[in-house]
Amino acid sequence: MFKRELKALWNDPWQLALLTYLPIVALVLLGWIFTSAMPRELPVAIVDLDQSQLSRQLAFELQASPTINLQTYSDLAAAKHAMQQVDMYAMVVIPQGMRKDLLTGHSPIIDVRYNSQFLLVGKLLSSQIQQALAAGLKQVSLSSQLSRGVPKAQAEINVSPIKQQITPLHNFNSHYQVFLMPAILVALGQIVVMLNCLNSFARELRHNAVSQWLAQGAFYGLWVKALVYIPLSVLQLAALNWALYLYLGVDISAQLPLLLLAQLFMAIAIWLVVTAVFMLLKDSARAVSFCAAMYAPAFPFMGVTFPTHDMPFVAQIWRLVMPSSYYIEQHLAIVSSHINLGQLLTMLSGYLPFLTLLIVIALGVTKLAQTNAKEPI
Amino acid sequence: MSWWALICAELKAIWANKAIAITVFGGVFFYAILYPLPYLNNVATEQQIVVIDRDNSSLSRQVIRHANASPQIEVVAQLASINDGQEYLTRGQALGLVVIPQGFRRDLMLGKDVTLATLGDANYFLVYSAIAQGMVSVGLDTAKQMQFKALLAKGQDPGSAELSLNAIKLNSVPAFNPSLGYMSYVVPAVLLLVLQQTLLIGSGILGASQWRSSGYWNQVSVVKLVTARIITFAVLYLLFASFYFGWCHYYYQLPVTGELINVVMLLVAFVLASSAAGVALSSCFSRTDMPTQIVLLISMPILFASGLIWPTMLIPEPIVWLSQLIPAIPAMMAMAQVNQMSADWSMVFNLWLQLWGLFLLFSALAYVGVKQRLS
Repeated sequence: MFKRELKALWNDPWQLALLTYLPIVALVLLGWIFTSAMPRELPVAIVDLDQSQLSRQLAFELQASPTINLQTYSDLAAAKHAMQQVDMYAMVVIPQGMRKDLLTGHSPIIDVRYNSQFLLVGKLLSSQIQQALAAGLKQVSLSSQLSRGVPKAQAEINVSPIKQQITPLHNFNSHYQVFLMPAILVALGQIVVMLNCLNSFARELRHNAVSQWLAQGAFYGLWVKALVYIPLSVLQLAALNWALYLYLGVDISAQLPLLLLAQLFMAIAIWLVVTAVFMLLKDSARAVSFCAAMYAPAFPFMGVTFPTHDMPFVAQIWRLVMPSSYYIEQHLAIVSSHINLGQLLTMLSGYLPFLTLLIVIALGVTKLAQTNAKEPI
Repeated sequence: MSWWALICAELKAIWANKAIAITVFGGVFFYAILYPLPYLNNVATEQQIVVIDRDNSSLSRQVIRHANASPQIEVVAQLASINDGQEYLTRGQALGLVVIPQGFRRDLMLGKDVTLATLGDANYFLVYSAIAQGMVSVGLDTAKQMQFKALLAKGQDPGSAELSLNAIKLNSVPAFNPSLGYMSYVVPAVLLLVLQQTLLIGSGILGASQWRSSGYWNQVSVVKLVTARIITFAVLYLLFASFYFGWCHYYYQLPVTGELINVVMLLVAFVLASSAAGVALSSCFSRTDMPTQIVLLISMPILFASGLIWPTMLIPEPIVWLSQLIPAIPAMMAMAQVNQMSADWSMVFNLWLQLWGLFLLFSALAYVGVKQRLS
């Protein structure tokens, strides 16, 4: 029976591709999109209506930021147009008479507009622009204090008495690939495991070989499939993870055994769901469409991009249907927090409700065996 | 066979095939609920942090109160040592940690500078940025108050003290997505992609189920069949598109700043280009379970290559060029400009022309492909 399964796999180019190069191609493509890791040189428009020494100094400060690529615009309308056309991601307007206002004791206002439709870029630019301008404005406030006769050392402390040190844990360079790629890999991996499972069943239907497949008992037939594809899937996931972290420059060899265990459980959970769906629908195209509908949106529900505890209750419930949501938490805990086996096992117990699917599968496969025994094709 | 009869036959074939019905009708409605679901609360608030207060002074307690009052942060515990804090982080009970150093208040009073240390879990960027932003504004506020008091103590009048601290004011305002909401960042783009992907699957399964047998599709000319199929899917998807960009946008309170006529013109071009692409792609399939698998695998790369999630100028050029062949990509960009950034029609005109170009290209490919299959 195992031989039969492996031979069938060898003769199925699509499934072979799914088990080997297709996920690699997809992953390389996705990794390539994020090669720049941190957004740099984002175009920002500056409209300098003041044209003073001070305004030029502020422009220099902005230009010095690695995130900003400053472009000068002479009028407001043109800058606004460029923002709407996504040629510019932000604009800074330095008001007319800023220097004069400053000297005469008024407090002028610098306007900053950033494109928050592109949330990631917008937030980054907003903080970078504020930082760059704050550095310039600190100079202004320093010189105004010095002119009032405050000693230099005292003035400097007056300007910034509390220093802030903010450390990104687990991802020290705030690297975008480190943040996104593991989650993307899990979403992709889940889809591939699901498709592998479905294709192995679909093949029996396609070749009218169900009775042959279940000849030695329905459960034996299922066992063979599970014992062939679950280990292959785990192997594939582990290899992809290993390659990804090698590329990201993180050594995970010490965590590999625990990761393998977590991956095994995820593969089993996916296998249970997909087998149950297949036994209920008994048609490959419909089963694929159904599982695709269920698992295509796995990524947003993982909670990596948008935090889980900010999701509404219904979303938190729906999350539980997807093995990827359990796995990603275990994965991050293993890779970042180095949890031990005991802690992992407690997390793995979350999968227990999936075992109820065994009832659906048992009923389904028995029925499948009966109908195929009655009408041999 | 008349045009009308042919289109009716197509609609019937779509409705009768359960795999198509699951994807096209089921998928479109299911995703309308499912995709926006995690983002319904729109912004990430109240991220849980622990504070290690080594100073235990009136000022350090004020910092903690300010942090707790910030909408981005919730202080779940005050701990004695950094080790306890790490324990919280490992168990996932907190995602950030703030350390207030010993002598915080005294050093500030003496005019020495002090450091407030914040750590945030950068495995979750939104969480990290919320914690960082929250703590930065707490730190700045506290510093401002201290400076203000110090200047007053030195005998400055409040007015000029205020002025020398805020010499120039920064007025930083988000344009286009004023609440910085996650919904309008991803949902409109994802909805467009859902339209295209389910269309590709639907027409793919329809084609794959027909090529090997004979039926009404053999009785008409290839041009007529291809035209009728493109029209059928286009009409169906215009209905879905009006549901998505009408009712769904209204219900989820997504921005709709575009002129109706511009939105309609974009959607018509997009739906026609996608239908043509769907029919062209369907000629590649002979198994009905294949279209879903292929489309499923390319969905994530398309979304990330769209330029809306990650800026286009940072995506390697070969990917950008290649992605321009996918109707959803110019459509997402044009739609975001028109509907969310209130851009003029002239600004998206080129993207609109690109959609029509794709429509012509895929129509020709569809003709060639279907002819091959039916001969």
